[in-house]
Amino acid sequence: MENLNRGGFSFDLCKRNDMIAKNGMKMPGFMKTGTTIVGVVYADGVVLGADTRATEGPIVADKDCEKIHYIADNIYCCGAGTAADTEYATALISSKLKLHRLATGKQVRVVTALTMLKQMLFKYQGHVSAALILGGIDITGPSLHTIYPHGSTDQLPFVTMGSGSLAAMAELEANFKPNMTKQEAITLVADAIKSGIFNDLGSGSNVNITVLTKEGVEVLKGYERPNERKYRSKPYIFKSGTTPILSEVRLPPLSSKVIIEDVPMEV
Amino acid sequence: MMEPLRLTALPAKEVPMRQARFEPYVDNGGTVLAIAGSDYCVIAGDTRMSDGGYGIQTRQYTKIFQLTNKCVIATSGMQADTLALRKRLETVLSRYQKEHGKPMSTPAISQYLSNTLYQKRFFPYYTFNLVCGVDEDGVGCIWTYDAVGSHERVKMSSQGSGNQLVQPLLDNQVGKFNQRIVDGPRELSSEQAVSLAKDAITSAGERDIYTGDFADIVVINSTGVHWEKFNLKLD
Amino acid sequence: MFLTRSEYDRDVNTFSSEGRLFQVEYALEAIKLGSTAIGIQCEEGVVLAVEKRLTSTLLEPSSIQKVVEIDYHLICAMSGLTADSRTIIDHARIETQNHRFNFDEPMGVESCVQSICDLALRFGENRKEGEEKMSRPFGVALLIAGVDERGPSLYHSDPSGTFTQYNAKAIGAGSEGAQITLQEKYSKTLTLIEAQQLALTTLKQVMEEAITTTNVEVAVITKKDKKFKIYNKEDLEGLIATL
Repeated sequence: MENLNRGGFSFDLCKRNDMIAKNGMKMPGFMKTGTTIVGVVYADGVVLGADTRATEGPIVADKDCEKIHYIADNIYCCGAGTAADTEYATALISSKLKLHRLATGKQVRVVTALTMLKQMLFKYQGHVSAALILGGIDITGPSLHTIYPHGSTDQLPFVTMGSGSLAAMAELEANFKPNMTKQEAITLVADAIKSGIFNDLGSGSNVNITVLTKEGVEVLKGYERPNERKYRSKPYIFKSGTTPILSEVRLPPLSSKVIIEDVPMEV
Repeated sequence: MMEPLRLTALPAKEVPMRQARFEPYVDNGGTVLAIAGSDYCVIAGDTRMSDGGYGIQTRQYTKIFQLTNKCVIATSGMQADTLALRKRLETVLSRYQKEHGKPMSTPAISQYLSNTLYQKRFFPYYTFNLVCGVDEDGVGCIWTYDAVGSHERVKMSSQGSGNQLVQPLLDNQVGKFNQRIVDGPRELSSEQAVSLAKDAITSAGERDIYTGDFADIVVINSTGVHWEKFNLKLD
Repeated sequence: MFLTRSEYDRDVNTFSSEGRLFQVEYALEAIKLGSTAIGIQCEEGVVLAVEKRLTSTLLEPSSIQKVVEIDYHLICAMSGLTADSRTIIDHARIETQNHRFNFDEPMGVESCVQSICDLALRFGENRKEGEEKMSRPFGVALLIAGVDERGPSLYHSDPSGTFTQYNAKAIGAGSEGAQITLQEKYSKTLTLIEAQQLALTTLKQVMEEAITTTNVEVAVITKKDKKFKIYNKEDLEGLIATL
């Protein structure tokens, strides 16, 4: 009876999966947002930034994906890790917060979203691979947090996560200053993201930026596009009827392709 | 009763020791490709060198190496092994020139490379090679290899991290595979081949994270070996 | 007490005070005792013609072979202590096969001759453990004919390890007379047929016996085929008939 009404994920198959993996079966890979995400607090708001590359191993799966997710009208969240995990974790908490707002009739607070996300991630003991940057503005003012897959959190004035975080942090450490103007903050975030885009192979393509202020949210999709294709040859055109169709093409018998010849032996 | 005092920090239960394994190989990534015609050979290779993970080690590592006035070798795989292999080939090339009074022909180089790779059958050079150039009749030629010396003369080939993205394009555009109607001449002109090579390496750079930065475009014909630098994306 | 010579002629590695290596000079003498061999190079290819000394009517002529294959594109005629040539030919065959294995192409003629002379020069060398001892110079001279990308060519190598390229060359007992004839008759415009005839008539002059299909051996290698041919009885009959 204890198995009833427990909700969430079932781990029943973990043992089985572990066993067949040990016997040599390769588990399917997940789409990872091998990512650069950044957040910066400035004088009267928060700037969030992200690159737009999604990878599957060494292959670019999506060149323009969205990594800054909506949580509430005053809260957005950048996600790094397994794409599905970041999307579902944020969407789940987003919908719960909507109910919370409707129930309380008040603007939700950033710490509420933070607490709900960390409790969820802790519950799954790191199996939900979501590394998040939570930014928002509420009655307490602008705030910025990081959440690690196991559920730990930080609150800081500038943060970065994902595979490009080292490159981005170099930029932040060098150029962050408290109480920046909006434009200064946006430029810093964009530079940090570009640092990840160019120096981390897991990050690439464009810079997306979201600015949260008391007045509202500004979503700057494709704030910078530094990686447009540089060369394209003339289009590849095939005349209609190029593709052979089995019912129309009579395949030559194999015997017509066999050549028999006598090779004289050297004396 | 009290537990007896233990003087080590080791857990009582025996933990299996993990020994550091000998890992002599790293894949430094990158893509090379080549197209051969009746009187030319076009070779393209990007210049990104990565650390096997998400790091770039240099954006300026040329994967194409000139062996003679008629032949280059394009190599992807591990850079250290590539350099060792090039050094060996260079030594043999200069020895051959002195012993036989002529530069080594492209077919001779192709055979020699195969032997060299097979000599290290049980500790291979982690390299994936294309020997490209013109033969003694001036005909464009490409030999494509695996790491231990299996080789084949082909009209077009690619090697490296973008191989799976590029090879089908070459098969279709150069080999004209499975096409009932082929508009125009069956063989590409040298200029068309250069354009295709640029498009192919650009496309590999779009989708393969290990291919990018810049590309070397090399054309070999009766007038010699001609190099061109070409820009790819830096992300 | 001793003649000046005999003090120095034991050791292959010691120069006499006049700067001579007597063992090498004696080896060169040994060739002058051998049967005559002639090689002629022309535009179309190279001809080798060799006298076979049939010292007894009971001797089986086919058991004497003085023109041998090194590779498809390389042949060799010999004079002197022909047994010594076995070592050389074995070496040359290995070298040419190695070249094919390594480079997927036939070995150059000069490169092959060079490697033969490298071996010829190894007498008296301190060799490594397990390697065969070579106690004296080879007592054999070779005419090496071949075709490569530079065209047909004829080389002569002797026991001193020297090699020289020739248009026409005679070695062996009758070489002096034969060389004079070749000098007179050779022309760069010879056809292959004419070269064969010149080789045989020259050989005929210096041979003691009359020429027959059993006491000469002829081989040609042509630029066109890049492959040698050793003449059989019928071929020889045809050729002798034209003389």
